[in-house]
Amino acid sequence: MSTRNRDTGAPREQVEIPREQVEITVGYRALPGKDQQDRLEKITVEPTEGDAPPWDANTPYKVVGSDLDRVDGFAKATGRAKYAYDQNFPDLQQAMILRAPIARGTLTALDLDEARRMPGVTAVVALKDVGNKVRFVGDAIAAVAAPTLDLARDAIEKIRADYDQEEHNVEYLMSGDAPLLSMGGEVDDEWPADDDIDALLAKATHSHSGTYRTEVQTHSSLETHGNVARFDQKHLDVWSSTQATFGVRGELARALRQRGVDVESVEVHSEYVGGGFGSKFSAGIEGLACCLLAHEAQKPVKLMLDRFEEHTTAGNRPSALMQVRGALDENGRITVWDWRSFGGCGFNGSGGAVRHPSAYLGKAKVRQSHKDIACDTDPARSMRAPGYPQGWFGAELFLDELAAKAGLDPLALRLKNDDEAMRLDQWKFGAERFGWAEARAKQNEPGARYLTGAGLASARWGQLGNHGGRNPHGITCRIHNDGSVESRSGAQDIGTGLKTVLTMLTAEELGIAPARVRATTGHTSDPSGPGSGGSTTTPSLAPAVRHAAYLAAQKLVALVADHLGVPLDEVRCSAGKVGTDKAQLSWTDACKLIGQNPIEAHGERFPNYKQDPFHRGVCGAQFAEVRVDSWTGEVQVTRMFGIQDCGLVIAKKLAESQVLGAMIQGVSYALHEQRIMDQRSGRMLNGDFLRYKITGTKDLPALDCYLHSVANGHDNTGAAGLGEPPSTASAAAIGNAVFHAIGAPVRHLPLTPDKVLAALQKAQRTPR
Amino acid sequence: MSHPPDRGVSRRSFLKGSAIAGIATTGLTAAAEAAELHRPPSELGPGEHEITLSINGKARLVKVETRTTLLDALRDRLDLTGAKKICDRGACGGCTVLVDDLPVNSCLMLAVDAVGCELRTVEGLADPADPKATHPLVQNFVACDALQCGFCTPGMVMSSLSCLERRGTPTEAQMRHDLSGNLCRCGTYGRVMEAIERTAKGEGGGR
Repeated sequence: MSTRNRDTGAPREQVEIPREQVEITVGYRALPGKDQQDRLEKITVEPTEGDAPPWDANTPYKVVGSDLDRVDGFAKATGRAKYAYDQNFPDLQQAMILRAPIARGTLTALDLDEARRMPGVTAVVALKDVGNKVRFVGDAIAAVAAPTLDLARDAIEKIRADYDQEEHNVEYLMSGDAPLLSMGGEVDDEWPADDDIDALLAKATHSHSGTYRTEVQTHSSLETHGNVARFDQKHLDVWSSTQATFGVRGELARALRQRGVDVESVEVHSEYVGGGFGSKFSAGIEGLACCLLAHEAQKPVKLMLDRFEEHTTAGNRPSALMQVRGALDENGRITVWDWRSFGGCGFNGSGGAVRHPSAYLGKAKVRQSHKDIACDTDPARSMRAPGYPQGWFGAELFLDELAAKAGLDPLALRLKNDDEAMRLDQWKFGAERFGWAEARAKQNEPGARYLTGAGLASARWGQLGNHGGRNPHGITCRIHNDGSVESRSGAQDIGTGLKTVLTMLTAEELGIAPARVRATTGHTSDPSGPGSGGSTTTPSLAPAVRHAAYLAAQKLVALVADHLGVPLDEVRCSAGKVGTDKAQLSWTDACKLIGQNPIEAHGERFPNYKQDPFHRGVCGAQFAEVRVDSWTGEVQVTRMFGIQDCGLVIAKKLAESQVLGAMIQGVSYALHEQRIMDQRSGRMLNGDFLRYKITGTKDLPALDCYLHSVANGHDNTGAAGLGEPPSTASAAAIGNAVFHAIGAPVRHLPLTPDKVLAALQKAQRTPR
Repeated sequence: MSHPPDRGVSRRSFLKGSAIAGIATTGLTAAAEAAELHRPPSELGPGEHEITLSINGKARLVKVETRTTLLDALRDRLDLTGAKKICDRGACGGCTVLVDDLPVNSCLMLAVDAVGCELRTVEGLADPADPKATHPLVQNFVACDALQCGFCTPGMVMSSLSCLERRGTPTEAQMRHDLSGNLCRCGTYGRVMEAIERTAKGEGGGR
């Protein structure tokens, strides 16, 4: 049993109080298919005193796991959902930022006077002082507010800014810090000597080495970053397109302290957010600029980035260069794994770390190193499983190449090496469901124009939520005397379905229909919650949602017990009734006992159970089939299947949407996405949606997924987030399928026709 | 994504609107339209003009500059924020509205060019006060969970509506084609097409 806090790694300081022990059943029931069996076990957990009793694999759910519609689906599908971008107020001012046209240098002059004097302009603020460094094309210089965007644009054009330009570099591989590459794209630098590794490689039955690359991907959230800010004296309301309402609140309060703003006087509203994918944790310079303009104008101001700004100043998934050496023994076990990676970062030279699937390497001698390389571009930000899709592409393709050398089927290699017991079941199930053996056995006719192939890859994510540290996450639950129920969180729903999760968990706990529950998210006047990062929002909040409903139910139960004259401990809320087996009130009648003030309870997110959960994090597996046009080099992903451990599946339809959506993003990353920089101007050449391609309907494969519901025994609910986990595998599976189809690996994402044709030519299989 | 039909008067059509501002609620008359065609181009801009747009069957007065896009007029001047500004370059379909029954990127159309056209926006597909009046396509979007963050959704709905209206029972290839101008970052495409299929079959919700 661990004596360390699982979430923070810090030693537990509080004195251990003996707690009630509860035996629960964790694990999962047999997956459909051959040779699958139940993987259930009993463990004993010690819930924090007062917490809702744990759900486990034997809990008979009524609402959880059902097909309930997304509760804000109607608002979104009718255009009535108001995002930050959609906020309108009388006298709203529109704002715009002047961006630096150079990639590196110094601001030598800034004249805002002419813009200030323009009729209609209500505020102009400098965002850099003369003498400040310019770090990339798009660095913010100044901002303007005016009654219309057109007027703001006119005013921006009147600002004079001069620069002392320095030599820049926007291609990390051209940096002096970058490794040397051969003409063939292999890392040319010698590997550092290591006797063990060298010996293992030398004596291996099969060994292999390769260099893999990925390109910069932009988050491309459809709602750009931005805010609407409105001051009323010292009170500041901000409607923000953010993944972290409380983070933005604190950040803005700190930045505006000199203007008399403190954190209590800032309220952030993010009821609807048009995507974030890891890029929207900070208020950013655009958020600060918006507030400064609103303060100066003393009018509400809207400042939303345009698409070019979104591509070039709001973060990205950094590029990666990975070199791997590895070997197998005669039993197909990986004996050595030598990995070095380089991340292509922005000017701050950080955020480029690359992860690789360590579950295969339990028996291997592992060496790994990583180096981030800076260049004069917009810095990287976390993006949906930061570091994983890059590393998984390199590592899983390397493994398929190694398997091919050893004459092993890629699935057989996984089964021999994967240390994740759960995934061994998933591999077998997925292979059957996808038709792996048949897909691999399909032979391409010699000289055929279209070549098909199949590939697979593992999925993995390690986080299952936290309690929020010193100030735990909370939820408010209210039960009103008309029978309606509120569940409220100040955290944001960025499209993953937090409102639906709040609704379903509350309904389950209270034994009522979900239609009675109204969930509200995204206002910092409500209880605090996590930033939506690392797939932690649902698993962090779900136990608090339950706890809030559990406490509220206890208060209602007391009223009903008193009214009916029955023993308190026999009263339950279930199936729309409150009472004992013999005497009950309908939910509506029970709620009539509530006075004018609603029952209100504050649920707390207690620390995860100290006991080892059934499984740490979540895992999954994905399979892809592709069709490659050997004449044009075009890759079409024809079908994909994914199985994903979801912890407790709460909202089935929404969970499926998220897994399928991750696979589609994976197709996009594998085939299309690439930021293209112009070395001469330092500018992104494809900073729009015409030339920065993302997957559309015509690239859409036939998709299917299986939600693997697992009672993980992590906390009272056992939920998992689904943003990251399925995102790790897709591009890797597609890369492997292309390797299978054309008989040669394409080691550089995206798998564009030029690279596919070059690989085909190398494999000498291009038909004439 | 189609372009609006060439009406032959598009660059000057705002004049029609400004001239009929006083009788806006009655909409355009053929005579007024004909008269306005003879107004000289020198009366174009700068500054704001009041025009009338016919939106979801209602005449709406709005002040725009000649350079104001239809999208900005809808969103910023009329608070019809269903249509979204995502790329502002006609590349994503997020601002799709129907102009005389054809899907149009409203970010690429000037508001003054929309005078005299019948405009339909996503807001017209449902009446919050009367849930039964909700268009079945909208119900099917919800039932199929054809949305996640929801930001592309209004545009998707309008392109899907146009697909249905023009094709009746579209094939998969036709759906893929008709939606190819609409981008979604969350990855809802498959479920959007499912929602269209269900609507074509006359289903109105539930899964």
